[in-house]
Order: sequence, then C-alpha cells, then structure tokens
Amino acid sequence: MDIRKIKKLIEILEESGIAELEIKEGEEAIRITRYSAAPASVAYAPAPVQITAGHAPGLTVAADVEEKLSGHIVKSPMVGTFYRSASPGTKAFVEVGHSVQAGDTLCIIEAMKILNQIEADKTGTVTKILVDNAEPVEYGQPLFIIE
Amino acid sequence: MPISDTQKAILTLLSDGQFHSGTALAQALNISRSAIWKQLNGLSDLGLPYAAVSGKGYRLEKPLELLGYEKILTVIDEKNRRLISEIEIFDQILSTNTYLTGRAADNAPSGAVCFAEQQTAGKGRRGRQWVSPYGSNIYVSILWRFQASPLAISGLSLVIGVAVIRALKARYALEFQLKWPNDIYYQDKKLGGILVEVSGESEGPCAAVIGLGLNIFLPETEAVSITQQWTDLSKITSRQQLGRNSLAGTLLNELLTVIAGFEEIGITAYLDEWRQYDCLQGKPATLFLGERRYEGIVKGIDDNGLLLLTRPDGSTQAYASGEVSFRDDRI
Repeated sequence: MDIRKIKKLIEILEESGIAELEIKEGEEAIRITRYSAAPASVAYAPAPVQITAGHAPGLTVAADVEEKLSGHIVKSPMVGTFYRSASPGTKAFVEVGHSVQAGDTLCIIEAMKILNQIEADKTGTVTKILVDNAEPVEYGQPLFIIE
Repeated sequence: MPISDTQKAILTLLSDGQFHSGTALAQALNISRSAIWKQLNGLSDLGLPYAAVSGKGYRLEKPLELLGYEKILTVIDEKNRRLISEIEIFDQILSTNTYLTGRAADNAPSGAVCFAEQQTAGKGRRGRQWVSPYGSNIYVSILWRFQASPLAISGLSLVIGVAVIRALKARYALEFQLKWPNDIYYQDKKLGGILVEVSGESEGPCAAVIGLGLNIFLPETEAVSITQQWTDLSKITSRQQLGRNSLAGTLLNELLTVIAGFEEIGITAYLDEWRQYDCLQGKPATLFLGERRYEGIVKGIDDNGLLLLTRPDGSTQAYASGEVSFRDDRI
C-alpha cells in the first residue's frame, strides 16, 4: 500500500470522527487508530501497518490549525465528547475573557463513559474556545487558547 | 430531610422486619408514643414504607440491613484491606462521588472508600439523577491515584464493569450482563451504573473516583422518575434479605483487585470476559454522540474497549464515546 493511500486514509479518518479504520485489500491490511487506550501494548496480528493518527505530526488537522493560532493552545488529550460544564444547564467552567490559573478546570471530555476534567496547564486569559459544547473531539485537537 | 438520631434508632429496631408496638419503641427510646409516630412519618420521606397494624404495631415493608464497618471489613481479603486507606459510611450524603472528588482535591490518599445509606443528589452521567433511597441499595465510591495519564486508564471503564459482574456472579448463579461500556444489566433491564470521574495532568498522574450504584431493593414509589427499564436484586432473586454488608464487601474485593492491578495488567486480560457479558452484541442499536446519532448493528468491542458498530453502508467503525441505546430513545 503506498504512502499516498495511507495519507488519504488518515485524512478520511480525521474528517469523519471515526476512532479507528481497518481496511483489507488482498494480502494487505492496514489499521489506523487515533486512540490507544490500553497501557499494555496490544498486538494486531492481521495489521502489518499501524499508524496512530495523533502521533503523526504534519498529517493531522490539529497540526494545520495550530499554525494559524497564536497563544497557548490547550489540546484534547484524547478522543471523546467535549463538555463545557459539569452537567447540562449548569454554568460553563470558563468563558472567553475569563482569567484562569494553571490547574483550573476548563472542560470535561467524556471517553468510555469516564468524565475527564481537563485542567489549564498555563495561567492566563481564555481568548478563544474552539469547540462547541457536546461536540466530538479528536486526539490533539485544539480546545482553548490561553494568552 | 436529614435523618435524625431518633429515626436511626427506630430504624435499627425495625430493621428485623418484625412488628414492634408503639409502646415498646417508646420505651426503648425513652420518648413518648406520639413522638415515635411523628418520627415514623418521616421514614416515608426516606423511601422506607412501613405498615401500621392496629394491635400489632409498626413494621417496615422490607427488612433492612444497615451498613456496618466491621461487617463489611470481615468479608474483605487481607490483600485488599491493605489497599484501603479509609472507609467512611454516611447516613446521608449528596453523592459519594462528589464527596470523594472533593477529598481528592484535598489530597486524600489513594484507596479512600465512601459508602452512603442514602444519596440526596445521587448522580449518573451528565447531570442525570441516580435514585438513591435510604438503606436499601449500594452506593459506593473509591478514590484511586494512578501514575498513568487519563488516556492510558480509559480502559478501566470496562474493567470496572467486569469486576462488578464477578462480584454478583460470586453470590448469585445468574447471567448478569454489561452494556457498553459498563452499565450493569440483567435480562435487558438496568441493575446498576458506574460513574468514573478523573482529574489530573494530561500526561499523568491522575486521580480517579470510581462510583457504583447497585439496586438491591428499589421501592416502586421511589422509582417513578426512572425513564428506562430497571430491576433490582430483590426482584431478580425473589429474596427479601440479600446481605448488603456481605455484598458490599464482595464488591470491594473485586473492585480493588482490578483497580489496583490496572496499571500493570491493562484491559487486554479482561477483554474475553467482558465480551461474554456483552448484552448488545449483534443487536441493532443507536449511538448518540453529541447532537449526532449513528444507527447500526453492534459488533462488540475492539481490543482497546471501543464500541464497534457496523453502519448501514457495511463499514464497521470504532467509537470512544457516546451513548448507546437498544432503541431509538435515549436511555
């Protein structure tokens, strides 16, 4: 399978919100995943090529966006669903213009029904919120700009 | 309404499920019969229906086994006892998860365990209520600190489900099921729910609060607000006395074993077992992801624990989040 085809597959994966894609063509098989949940490494016997999209710099949408954004970017550490508040109908953790301390909760990302509190890793002012509430997010996707 | 010491004392006397006369209760507590009657009226608010029969006295509709520290501890293995830094049992609390999340922020040690007889703000995911009446179900949370990142421990979600099924199967020879990723089911009705809340650095370490709500006896009067098919152990087993303390201990044994071993073992060792319990395998289902919805046939889970859904176009995709439903409505 040539590299252009693999690159195209990664682009399809990026655009779709799919976490994994596996394709078999005759003797060739490829499995692309943007998600590696298991601390122990998992061997995929039928998949001679494995690419984790999140670890392929230059190929991801996240990397493209990054070039256009200035300031400190808080990225999603996982694939999941982005929530701006602790529960529906409650106040958002942060709004544009809020000042935040490192360690303050910015949002929740739900993955595998685990609610992960995402903390600011830098003190500053939130200047952009890049994802709408309850939208799926990708590994490495920019979520907030802090300046 | 907070439970008073007098009510707790009356409940302890009535917990045997036998009739107790107003006079006997009044004497035992050294208060008037009318004071007993007033206190008993408050029990209905706690979700504990009682019967008053002329000439016999008062009796709870179901016998009650209140949680006791020593009774739970005797069931726990020596190995697991060493993993517990503290066990707290509250009569009433907002939510065991909320409590331990707060304790985690105050640097509480790994292995803190919190039980409650009643949760006044018991919660499921995304602000949903977990119906938590007094003295009849299990509400427990465990705080555990991991060196790994939140991403690396996401498989824990499924492994916790396996631990709960192991505990249930150890006590009842029944076919308990899991609905992705970790809802506890029996014959397609929800028996228990798990809520895991994680905070910490994106590269690790992180603190996880793992909460379990398990229905043992859920009075119909309390369950009216539940919008999905539900069941409880009392219905499933047709038994009145289920040994809450002993079940609580068995659950802690299984939960602590998988939680403490997770960073070393990971999800892989549990995949086959999880798949045995999968109640969605091969069934049509809808996955709700934010405002989007995906129809398909569930093909189980992949080796990372992601949900596999075969879409109408024949492609199979893996999903890390979203809510999966048997039917068209959200559950």
